[in-house]
Amino acid sequence: MNCVERYLAKAAGVEEAKAGQDLSCKVSYVAAHDVTAPIAIDMFRKIGVKKVFDPDRVALIVDHIYPANSEKARNNVWTMKDFADEFGVHLYHRGEGVIHQLMYEKHRAQPGELVVIADSHTGTCGGYGAVGVGVGSTELAAAMATGKLDLEVPQVIQIYLTGKRRSNVFGKDLILYLGSQFGTDYLVDRALLFTGPGIDDLSVAERMTVCNMGIELGAMITLFGTTEKEPDTLEVKEIDLGSLEPQIARPFSPANVVPVREVAGTPVTQVVVGSCTNGRLNDMEQVAKAFEGKHVHPDVNTLVVPASRDILDEMEKRGWCKIIRDAGATVLNPGCGSCFGAHEGLTSERDTVVSTTNRNFPGRMGSMKAKIYLASPATAAATALAGKITVPGEE
Amino acid sequence: MDTIKGKVIVLGDDVDTDQILPGYAMAEPYDQLGNFAMAGLAGLDFKSVYEPGSIIVAGRNFGCGSSREQAPIALHQLGVSLVMAKGFARIFRRNSINIGLPVWVADMADKLKTGDVVEVDLEKGTVTVNGEVNEFTPMAPTVLKTLEYGGLIPRVRAELGIE
Repeated sequence: MNCVERYLAKAAGVEEAKAGQDLSCKVSYVAAHDVTAPIAIDMFRKIGVKKVFDPDRVALIVDHIYPANSEKARNNVWTMKDFADEFGVHLYHRGEGVIHQLMYEKHRAQPGELVVIADSHTGTCGGYGAVGVGVGSTELAAAMATGKLDLEVPQVIQIYLTGKRRSNVFGKDLILYLGSQFGTDYLVDRALLFTGPGIDDLSVAERMTVCNMGIELGAMITLFGTTEKEPDTLEVKEIDLGSLEPQIARPFSPANVVPVREVAGTPVTQVVVGSCTNGRLNDMEQVAKAFEGKHVHPDVNTLVVPASRDILDEMEKRGWCKIIRDAGATVLNPGCGSCFGAHEGLTSERDTVVSTTNRNFPGRMGSMKAKIYLASPATAAATALAGKITVPGEE
Repeated sequence: MDTIKGKVIVLGDDVDTDQILPGYAMAEPYDQLGNFAMAGLAGLDFKSVYEPGSIIVAGRNFGCGSSREQAPIALHQLGVSLVMAKGFARIFRRNSINIGLPVWVADMADKLKTGDVVEVDLEKGTVTVNGEVNEFTPMAPTVLKTLEYGGLIPRVRAELGIE
């Protein structure tokens, strides 16, 4: 058994599991946000049970549209608050941060535990070894009621990492590179597992970035194991981290990836750093380091969105917020920000964006014609300063 | 389950959930979602070719992206009778069945053009176009059963005997 099979077998209370087998697994944490929770709550009430499986292991988090940008959005918050009051589950509705970061900070699963969140980026918790499965609202409602998730054990694609990163290469560049290798659907219903001595060169935060974007390759589960190679996987691909250079996804697919140098010089009008992908303290540090004593290009609207209030607090303590503001950029409230096209930085057809978020689909940030490129915070910061796509460290 | 007959709308690969139901519509009340179905579709004004009961025929990885159940709900509310594609993203596929929208793996996008009329038998796994029968893997019996109940919650309630 590989570690995905071992973890799922344990969660299901069985001795052995192998790819293709159907299991009913015990869930350690369940969560939903303001886009998925209202429907999940409606479905939960339709099931007709009187309590959730364990109120201390259920969290509802308002992150997508915070603060509310409409009466409808605010009503969704009330739906969540009423449910939390009635069933005693955890509620974060005052701008505490993005669901995947808050689950790490406040409700951290142990390695191997199963986390079910009604959000596609649930794989993020694989950065700290937990098994995250993203679901929709109906399955979330069922998981809240039963504490169980039915799933089929996936085949595992193992990425065996060796070597050390160059100073301008990050977890984001690794997962973008894998997008260029696998495309958007090779990993559908499969798991992506990272092992090998090279994982020691990626901090937990960098690993969370990698796991966050496994879903853009279609993966059901994305996970970091140990430095040891795992047995019984469908295939093993070895990657020397030292061979990677900064990567960027071009419009309109997260898998439409080339090295940054191939599109260097492309003029840019907006830069976004943040989200569940790259809104952590190490990401903010890249921006603060790059911006210190400098000014972003006058044509570039630069938005910095920390993934949680704890991260924002730490940025303020370290003087990074002032550095970022003095550079002519805007620090927004913690949350999903402009990532998904509802508020806080929508584009027009004249915009070209470099963003550290996870998707660059048509219309993802407003205009259907706006061009969105996805890259690391270091690439985004260097680009904001230069006003054109720039390889970090080669300004 | 009866056969599904209708005009097809042919789409390409990687039709993502932002195209099916854009981010700006995600806070809309449940019963309004159908008004925003395919509002973000790139390259085609969906409403101009849609007729009640239309069948969507797509390429690889239909429904990739977000876990928003609003996406299949919007298609279902609008009246799309079936989505058949070369492949589906995992969460979209499961969400669709859970809310009662038939989605089925059948690689027909290259053989059809928008406006063609097809008849689909999910139990037999056939797509009939102008008398020509194309065969695929039939829909799994458990999935068909969930669809016959109108989705997972109605099925669970019925099986538990909840009125």
